[in-house]
Amino acid sequence: MTAPELIALLPLLILALGATALLLLARDSVGRSWPLVVGALLALYAALSALLLPSCVTEVGGMYAAGPYARFFIALWSLATAATLISSSSYLARRQLPSGEYSALLLFAAAGMGLLSSAVSLSGIFLALEAFTLVFYVLIAFNKDCPLGAEAGLKYLVPGGVAAGLLAFGMALLYAASGSLQLPAATAALLAGAPMQAVALAGMALLLAAFAFKLSLAPFHFWTPDVYQGAPAPVTGLLASGSKGAVTAALLTLTATLPAPPAIFKPVLISLALLSMVVGTLCALAQSNVKRMLAYSSVVHMGFVLTGLLCWNHTGRTAALFYLVGYSVITLGIFAVITSFSGDKEPQQLSDYRGLARRQPLRALALTVLLLALAGLPPTVGFMGKLAIFSAALAAGLPLLAVVGILASVVSIYFYLQPVIQMYMTPASSAEVVEGHAGEYTVIAICLGLTLVFGLWPDPLLHFLTRLTP
Amino acid sequence: MTGNCPLPLLTLLLTLPVGTAALCLLCKQRPTAARGLALAGSLAVLLIAIGCFILLPTEPGWLLLEDYRWITALGIRFSLGIDSLALMMILLTAFLSVLAIGLSWNEDDRPPTYFALLLLVEAGVLGVFMALDLVLFYISWELMLIPLFFLIGIWGQRGGIAAAMKFFLFSLAGSLLMLLAIIALYVLHGQQSGDYSFALSALQHTAVPTGLAPWLFAAFALAFLIKVPLVPLHSWQADAYSTAPAACSLLLAGVLAKTGIYGLIRFALPLFPDTAQTALPLLAVLALAGVLYGGWIASAQRDLKRLVAYSSLAHLGFILLGLSAWTTTAVEGALLQMVNHGLTTAALFILIALIEKRAGSRQLDELGGLWVRVPRLSAMLLFFALAALGLPGLNNFVGEILILIGTFSVQPLWAVLAACGLLLAAIYILRLLQGVIWGPAHDELSWPDLVLQEWLLLVPLVLLVLWLGLHPETFLEPLRGPAQQLLNGAAPLSLSGGLP
Repeated sequence: MTAPELIALLPLLILALGATALLLLARDSVGRSWPLVVGALLALYAALSALLLPSCVTEVGGMYAAGPYARFFIALWSLATAATLISSSSYLARRQLPSGEYSALLLFAAAGMGLLSSAVSLSGIFLALEAFTLVFYVLIAFNKDCPLGAEAGLKYLVPGGVAAGLLAFGMALLYAASGSLQLPAATAALLAGAPMQAVALAGMALLLAAFAFKLSLAPFHFWTPDVYQGAPAPVTGLLASGSKGAVTAALLTLTATLPAPPAIFKPVLISLALLSMVVGTLCALAQSNVKRMLAYSSVVHMGFVLTGLLCWNHTGRTAALFYLVGYSVITLGIFAVITSFSGDKEPQQLSDYRGLARRQPLRALALTVLLLALAGLPPTVGFMGKLAIFSAALAAGLPLLAVVGILASVVSIYFYLQPVIQMYMTPASSAEVVEGHAGEYTVIAICLGLTLVFGLWPDPLLHFLTRLTP
Repeated sequence: MTGNCPLPLLTLLLTLPVGTAALCLLCKQRPTAARGLALAGSLAVLLIAIGCFILLPTEPGWLLLEDYRWITALGIRFSLGIDSLALMMILLTAFLSVLAIGLSWNEDDRPPTYFALLLLVEAGVLGVFMALDLVLFYISWELMLIPLFFLIGIWGQRGGIAAAMKFFLFSLAGSLLMLLAIIALYVLHGQQSGDYSFALSALQHTAVPTGLAPWLFAAFALAFLIKVPLVPLHSWQADAYSTAPAACSLLLAGVLAKTGIYGLIRFALPLFPDTAQTALPLLAVLALAGVLYGGWIASAQRDLKRLVAYSSLAHLGFILLGLSAWTTTAVEGALLQMVNHGLTTAALFILIALIEKRAGSRQLDELGGLWVRVPRLSAMLLFFALAALGLPGLNNFVGEILILIGTFSVQPLWAVLAACGLLLAAIYILRLLQGVIWGPAHDELSWPDLVLQEWLLLVPLVLLVLWLGLHPETFLEPLRGPAQQLLNGAAPLSLSGGLP
């Protein structure tokens, strides 16, 4: 490995080595917050180096890219991790959880997500995906005293194992058909007229199924609500934004290598997107548990992102990226609010939000704006994202997806407003209200600010992403 | 004179209520300051609007235009513009907003938030009347919705939450489909001309395939007609009007209903002229259904607010009938009636609020004998009720007679049916007066008659009602240009001189 390659990997090295160092140094860290601060600083450092230090090489080992696309995502997931770390301290302290291990695991997850977003070979995708999935198995079940957490960990593990199997087998078939693991070459066997196209198509089908598992696209979404419900709130935030986002980034790279979707996949992918929007919306309607509702809502949103990818052109991919960034910001913000309201018990039931607006007006307002952003109302980034996705979809000749997406948005207003109604329009319950922590407030404020800024003036981000998109 | 004003007046009009709302929120601990600020902000908007009305010439075409770069990646511009129709609507909005704030002066549940939300509604409505970019229009359209959801849900009476939810879902169902239609136009125009833009002036030149045009027109019309509302899209209306706080009922009926009609005039009809022509008879039938059904149901109401809500349904049906008759007289009458209906309905909602404050009830069975107790308040109610009834010499008469004459000249049957609607109006209005003003009082308590603050709300309305009734020319003349342009097709949108 040469020096330029090391520099190209620097942000990831900072994350991985920093995590290792934290594991060694931060023993007996229950109730301490310094490991979280150090972890957040390391993540910020990694993000800065990813953004500011240009790489001299475009690829490392033929597996990972070091271009602006990869660098942007490494920075994004590092920032998301930093935000998660900053907002976790009182959550961990209340539950007597070791912050050292937590911090190290999150940094490993960030490294894995960054790697996945920059993967340019099938083996690179597999390694990175498994790297951060393993970390999430632990993080989801991090609170050993919570039986739901253990259950959630197991429920993430089993489908995750299946997905890993599908992924590996699919890659093997693709390799068999094309003789390469490198990305443009590996998918070339999918093109019409290529020898062994059938084998390649079978491999791609398995690959897509694995991706659908990770993105929780319907009908591969059954693990999602249970995992969201059982996982610690800050971890859920990162799982919803970072892990799904990184998988989307990899899928985007994969789709960009093909000039058009293989003919037999197009209807399959369209049905996946349609099913996700419809099933996610209908299931979310019936939830009285806020985290489960958010889980189903993530199914819907992944359907929107897939719609962007399905346009199979530059505009659609840019729209999907923009939507992804917006969705990540909003989701991190929402879970930061839920974390900050968490006493000994997380506020999961709708009734836990009764009358909060009178007692905690700022956080209630923040949660309201973020939920309305998820619902896609202006002037938030959620609206701009929908505008971009749906105009790309109509321009690419996918009116059905746009119409169903719009109808899903109408229905989804109902469940996004339920917590808002509880907070503003019902008398307060007598339950204790948890005072927020400065770190939590900071993260909430940043996410809220970005939600509104990108909603009112998305121009710079849109132009930036347009240049970035492959 | 297009856009040669040294000050960005329109941007100022839009940002003034938003800024005031933000300031109100900062006065969390000082409700009096928040009240004062809200009133000052809304008065400032009104003064600017009056200034524009007096100083700008009443010529057809755009009076003021402003246009800035905003989101270049998607072709969205921050462009505002007003013609004399928009100016009239802005004037109405600004005036009724001041009344709404005055009416809720004594609100004591979190007044800063309450007034901030009222101001945000005003900003949204002003944005709707000024926007010339369809995304900006859509954002304003939603922005007037969100604060109202909270106003009805938090400050509304029993059942307010359900009514707010119903109102929100109805409106959003319409507006999101409209968003899809906007995007479809944008994509079509982009593919035809290579210029991806949401500007109204660009999109009106889109050649929409004949198979698609009815769908797009329907999506626009649905959003607007839900907001008006038109039968059979009205089921949110009575619930929302009756549970909302008085100031919100006033804004909902006086202003929000007009945004729907304005949307039809400014966007739906000119963007799809051919489809619009074929849809007009259907619109007329629905409008007539609204006139008759609204009047009939209003006659059976016991709750005063619901009575006015359904009478509103009938009056708005009248306005839409005038539009769909598509003759100069009828369209002019319809435009004028938008102002008239705003004034009288607002006055009726104010009076109901004043009665409810005294009697603690607004059920017809529990009221009565008002004339003995509060003669001045009763006289006011009588005055505005007769105005709503269409008494000659008062404002509604002028609009209604123009609509009837204009309609009769092309579709006598429509006019005859609409005139029957006027009979129904006589029934429910007289029933209201009989129940509230005459008859014996239910108890011996004495009520205070109108106080200064309440006079201040009512006197300007009285003057305007008389002005519009006796000398409608002041307001009718500026509306002639827009009416003619609407009838000529796409003309109102052509920006002679072009956007900068």
